[in-house]
Amino acid sequence: MSALCEQGPGLAASIASGARTQRRRRKFDAFPYLLLAPAALMMLVVNLVPIVQGFRMSLLKLNQYTLSQFMDAPYIGLRNYRGVLFDTDNPVHAGMLGALRNTALYSLLVTVCSVAIGLGVALLLNRDFPGKAAARTLLMLPWVVPTYVVGTLWGFMWQRDEGIINHVLVDVLHLMDHKPFWLIGSNTFFAIVIPTVWRAWPVLMLIFLAALQAVPEELYEAARLDGANAWQRFRNITLPTLKPVIVIQVMFQIIDNVYSYNIVAMMFGKGAGYPGEWGDLLMPLLTRQSFSYWRFGEGAAVSFVMMAVMLVFVAVWMRTFRRSMTSEA
Amino acid sequence: MKRKWNQRALNVLTWAIVVLTLSPVAFMVYASLSDYNDVVTGNMLKASFTPHWSNYREMWVNVDFLAFLRNSLIICGLTTLLSTLLASLAAYALARFRFRGNHAFSVAVSTTQVIPGMLFFLPLYMLYIQIDDAGLPMMNTFHGMIFLYTAMFTPASIWIMRGFFVSIPRDLEDAAVIDGCSRLGAFVRIVLPISAPGIIATASFVFLLAWDEVFFAWVLTSSPDVQTVPVGLRLYMGQHATRYDLMMAAAVVSVIPVLITFFASQRWFIKGLAAGAVKG
Repeated sequence: MSALCEQGPGLAASIASGARTQRRRRKFDAFPYLLLAPAALMMLVVNLVPIVQGFRMSLLKLNQYTLSQFMDAPYIGLRNYRGVLFDTDNPVHAGMLGALRNTALYSLLVTVCSVAIGLGVALLLNRDFPGKAAARTLLMLPWVVPTYVVGTLWGFMWQRDEGIINHVLVDVLHLMDHKPFWLIGSNTFFAIVIPTVWRAWPVLMLIFLAALQAVPEELYEAARLDGANAWQRFRNITLPTLKPVIVIQVMFQIIDNVYSYNIVAMMFGKGAGYPGEWGDLLMPLLTRQSFSYWRFGEGAAVSFVMMAVMLVFVAVWMRTFRRSMTSEA
Repeated sequence: MKRKWNQRALNVLTWAIVVLTLSPVAFMVYASLSDYNDVVTGNMLKASFTPHWSNYREMWVNVDFLAFLRNSLIICGLTTLLSTLLASLAAYALARFRFRGNHAFSVAVSTTQVIPGMLFFLPLYMLYIQIDDAGLPMMNTFHGMIFLYTAMFTPASIWIMRGFFVSIPRDLEDAAVIDGCSRLGAFVRIVLPISAPGIIATASFVFLLAWDEVFFAWVLTSSPDVQTVPVGLRLYMGQHATRYDLMMAAAVVSVIPVLITFFASQRWFIKGLAAGAVKG
């Protein structure tokens, strides 16, 4: 404790908890602000300023002609919002309803499946059996694979002719008599849901498993003695204990999946290909449309609407489940 | 007796799930070692399989993948260092001190997690162009990417670190301060060492996130001197044919750094996940 520790006892007093409250009232304490400053500065430049500018952009007529004027582009009020949400002639609006439907179904389906599989496998692993630690570690592998590799890998596996999935389904297992297209038509939806679930559930499994290990074994023993069957034990002991964890993870999953971009972007086509009516999600659509038509005002407007919707979702979710989240933590 | 058989059946089911879950990864490795002619015909699963290690030589020639790998390592490595450092300082302030703005800042930190990247992309793009014009190159540079990534991943890191600091009893720091240590000294000498597990967990989390970033890597970089692995991976898709064999080999290579990171930090990482601090 040499150089860094040679300040007098005056500073010492300020951290000793009793003196702290008294002291704070008299003197402004700069220390926490200094600690916070570098991170705050970064966030100011890269998050806050761009968001404020983004909001202003959403009120401007920003297209390929006015882009060079940037913030001096003509002000058009809420016309971007109206155009993008309701105007059927607007190019950014095109495909919006489909992408909206896909995003809603995709986030729900991915979240439900990942949480269900994660919970199921966590229950399976929460027993004693040979190779338990190995199984747990191996199951984490999909989660370590970056999402862009997931998109690339599954994009290859789903190919109609060269793809391994059709090969296994048709040539090896003879489950189908002809090879279907996975990346064209309505199958596309499953082609994006399945890899996302594949990557998402292992980490949920791990989180649930950790929570399960915190449940005292005596509870189960007592329930068993009282004659509770497996389902009753799950329903009345396991589920209530896991509820806070599930509530938080469902929220994170929904946020992640609504903003999902990498898997779709890497899976389809060379460059920013069109993933088709059933493969398109809001983020890929928004990116593609804003860049191909250089209509950034509209892009900013949609982003803002999405953010508002997600903020409302998070606020409502937290409010609804506040009780169960704090009771455990 | 019946219970024992039930348990055995569950063990078999568990291992079946493990095999099924790992099969895509196994396939990726298998495809990376397959002959190109087998890959394009889709007739890959052969009894007479011989590994084509040459794919792992050819992949560096077909695309200059080493450059992309180097770029990713530099950008993600430095981002990890900076982000963890900034986050430790900020998280310590949030976890230990009551000051005006603590709550507001905490709310701001969590709010950043709900912002679509697209929203701040264009203003940032314009900002970078303006700084470029002012004489300091930002577009297509390492420091431009590192600055952006650090800012992007710092809020989530603050959140994780805060959880760790809160769980550390403050008696030790108090004792150190009473013994004549400055508050910064107490933080550096006492708090940081005992938070090593949290720091490792946070750092590996940032590295995994940064390694996985595609969107900004795509639009803010334009030359192979700076572009990262996801951009390079796509180059195996040619105009006419995709070299899936080489692409899978490159995919395997690009998983290795994150795999090492994960397994090296697993013990602490899993604890962090379990604490609910890290989001999946």
